Amino acid sequence: MIEVKEPKRIPLIGSLQGMYTVFKHLFKKPITVQYPEEKAYTPARFKFRIFLSMDDCVGCTLCEQVCPNLSIRMIVVERNNPHNKRNLYPQVNFGTCTVCRNCEEICPTEAIYLTHELETARTKNNFFYSPEELEKTESEVKK
Amino acid sequence: MNILLRLQLFFQITGHYASYFLAYIFETIFFLIFVVISLIAMIYIFRKYMARLQLRIGPNRVGKFGLLQLIADALKLVGKESIIPKLRDDFAYKAAPYIVFIGLVVGFVIIPYGSFYWIGSLTITHSNVSLILFFGAIAMMPIGEVLAGISSHNKYAVIGAFRGIAKDVSFEVPMMISAVSLVMMDSALSRTSLNFETLVSTQFIPFGILQPLGLFVFMVAMIARSSYTPFDLSESDSEIVSGYSTEYSGMRFGLFYMGMFGSIFLGSLVVSLLYLGGFNGPYSSYAGFIYLLIKGLILVLISFLIWLSMPRIRVDRFINFGWKILLPISIINLIWAGFLTLGVIS
Repeated sequence: MIEVKEPKRIPLIGSLQGMYTVFKHLFKKPITVQYPEEKAYTPARFKFRIFLSMDDCVGCTLCEQVCPNLSIRMIVVERNNPHNKRNLYPQVNFGTCTVCRNCEEICPTEAIYLTHELETARTKNNFFYSPEELEKTESEVKK
Repeated sequence: MNILLRLQLFFQITGHYASYFLAYIFETIFFLIFVVISLIAMIYIFRKYMARLQLRIGPNRVGKFGLLQLIADALKLVGKESIIPKLRDDFAYKAAPYIVFIGLVVGFVIIPYGSFYWIGSLTITHSNVSLILFFGAIAMMPIGEVLAGISSHNKYAVIGAFRGIAKDVSFEVPMMISAVSLVMMDSALSRTSLNFETLVSTQFIPFGILQPLGLFVFMVAMIARSSYTPFDLSESDSEIVSGYSTEYSGMRFGLFYMGMFGSIFLGSLVVSLLYLGGFNGPYSSYAGFIYLLIKGLILVLISFLIWLSMPRIRVDRFINFGWKILLPISIINLIWAGFLTLGVIS
């Protein structure tokens, strides 16, 4: 049988060390972020809400085709845009959007793009954003 | 001049007996207000301090810095329906929280508070045996806990009560022996060393410096008396739901809760009185009470630090600790105190 030598222990030292470790935390900043009042740090490459510039959109429907879970549907909006003869613009459902950013990547005119805006909660039963709403910022949409 | 005589002078127009009667009543009311406010402040300090140690923020929604949170909690507890078990032992069940709370308040009544500015001495009880009275009063609290455990007719409550008894039996004897060694040492300095106030005011240097072992034993005993984390055997909420207070809800539970925090404050005050010089210090006839409060608060913060950084000790280990470590230490301390008394002080 192998004898394991236990280190010599001085009574109470371990407890005092533990107390000191706990006490040190008194001088550290709290981790808690009081969310609605304070905003937590968001990484620079974090993107969430889709925006659309309707003047640049050519209605090619590529974003609809590339969307993996059919969050984007093209709808007709009567608008005087010489680039977009069929008047087709994307409508996005944020309830199912997974922020894969395929639409942003495929868009030939960079009309559809994602921004840092992420607070999309609102009192409404769906998360469908019409092309007009996609042009506005979140605070304007909520109005 | 003490606070009772000040009040009696104020009410003198009502006649001799009536003025003393009114003075006693008002002294009691002031005192109860002091106890309740200090308990609320204790719980607030504890929650904030615990939050800061755990890198949280703590209560900050009700009132400025969450100062009104505890008042909101108390109102909630008062308004709550009291759910009581069907098979309870009715009288014992209902009396238990009050016994705990009364034991606490009587403990607060007996300890000396020193002097404060022009009011003079704030001490309420003037007795030549107030030290014995004090230990008698705080010995009421475990009775309430045991009654609560047994009368609830609940297995967890009964286990909690049994653990509480085991704990109380193992630390009371060392605590009393270390108190006896204090009285022994003070008997060389004064004739009425069983009087709490003389025992404190005759400390030429704090007795904690002369008897560090006694200070250790008494502090451990006071932690065990308030039954918080290293020694919360009778509550141990991760094992036996909530121990003796399992079946209590509403304000009855609130009384147990306040009793626990109050006994932390009381224990800190008593340790600072007996071992750290209490209200002695420069200008102690004006600011003695402030010294006592500061020492008490520092001890409270140390107690909370112990609470927050230590795991619970097992029942049998605590009993071993009490009888095999604390008791010999306190006896060594008694011998040391006798040596000091005969050889140095007298």
